[in-house]
Amino acid sequence: MALIDRYLQAVKFWLPRDKKDDIIAELAEDLRSQIDDKESELGHKLSDDEVELILKRCGPPVAVAERYLPQRSLIGPALFPIYRVVIRALFLYFLLPWFLLWLGITIFSPDFRADHPGAALLASLEPWWLACTYALFFNTLAFAILERSQAREHLVRTWTASALPPERDPNRISRGASVFEVTIAVAILAVWLQFDAFHRVFHLFGLSITLSSSWPYFFWALIALSLGGIALSCMNVANPHWTRAKACLRLGLDCTSWMLMYWLFRSNLLQSLSGNDLSPNRALNFVSSINFWTARSAIWVLLIGIVVLIFDVRRIIRMATNATRATP
Amino acid sequence: MSPGNESGDRFENLRQELRRGSLPLAVLAALRTEHYGYTLRKTLANHGMEIDEGTLYPLLRRLESHGLLVSEWREEEKRNKRFYRLSPEGKSILKQLLVEWKSIHESLEDIL
Repeated sequence: MALIDRYLQAVKFWLPRDKKDDIIAELAEDLRSQIDDKESELGHKLSDDEVELILKRCGPPVAVAERYLPQRSLIGPALFPIYRVVIRALFLYFLLPWFLLWLGITIFSPDFRADHPGAALLASLEPWWLACTYALFFNTLAFAILERSQAREHLVRTWTASALPPERDPNRISRGASVFEVTIAVAILAVWLQFDAFHRVFHLFGLSITLSSSWPYFFWALIALSLGGIALSCMNVANPHWTRAKACLRLGLDCTSWMLMYWLFRSNLLQSLSGNDLSPNRALNFVSSINFWTARSAIWVLLIGIVVLIFDVRRIIRMATNATRATP
Repeated sequence: MSPGNESGDRFENLRQELRRGSLPLAVLAALRTEHYGYTLRKTLANHGMEIDEGTLYPLLRRLESHGLLVSEWREEEKRNKRFYRLSPEGKSILKQLLVEWKSIHESLEDIL
């Protein structure tokens, strides 16, 4: 019976202190009755292997004990879906972009890699790990506290169907947002048209600014893209729903715009600067610095552009998937 | 996992779920006569309701804590055993549950 005693001891370990002896006495009686029955059936005393078979069928000690414990959860079914949405949003909109940004900088910036050789590269990710840990810990803690507070009861008992948010249509475009887009695009275009594609020298704040020969391309491209954007926004005001054609047009416009921006940042657009109070050497230093830093910032433009394009592509995929589902 | 196994597992899960729902009723009904745990298990098994000890004893405790069962430790065949029987409240609940069970049974018969 040593095997049974060991089994009961293992079960006892996991049981609540005030019920341990009672539960174990009952379980022991059941096991001994089973063994008695089996011995009568077989006509001999059970070997350790045979007893082990009976115990194996009962299940692992921790699982047996668990059934006697009250069913409790850190975050219950009423709050868990909200907890999951919060964690998912934190990951998707904060931690994942942060990680992708780090990855982008690591891949595309040789200076960053040079500044963080070997293990220092992983160490540069330490704030991200800390943010992950803190986000998970404090969210879980907050929801565990909510689970045990009156807030949960309030949430479960006081909801009304009429207070629920209106049905969400992912293909609907806010007219307000479209009007805002048109306003901003027209304002930018108005300012942009103050410049001139046929002259590369501008006079601003007492300075003469000379742009490179690629200036006219940017000038006309930006005008074309602004007009395209305004046209699309006007279409959205008239018919505030995404169609596949409009979604593809948005993708095309965004793709061209962000490529253009990236090219603009890397093109050393500023050719020279001159002014009464500016020595030629200082002007040259200014031009080099401005071109250097805009070129270095191009990676950020590229990364932001990629994020925007991901959203655009996601929209098209969603529409294609919905169309497939709708087709009988 | 092969599709056959998957289907078998799915059936087994649903079967257990179905039986789990009717266990309290079976236990209460069987305890119209006094039993200790092991004989209760054997009685249920003889009627086609196999139940393992890990399920039965926690269920007995839960029913007792709800006041539907009463229990006492007694010596029988030189061994201490805990005997269970229905409490007056348990008898009343069992009556109501049996009415409910018959209603479910009739509804299912209608549907099937």
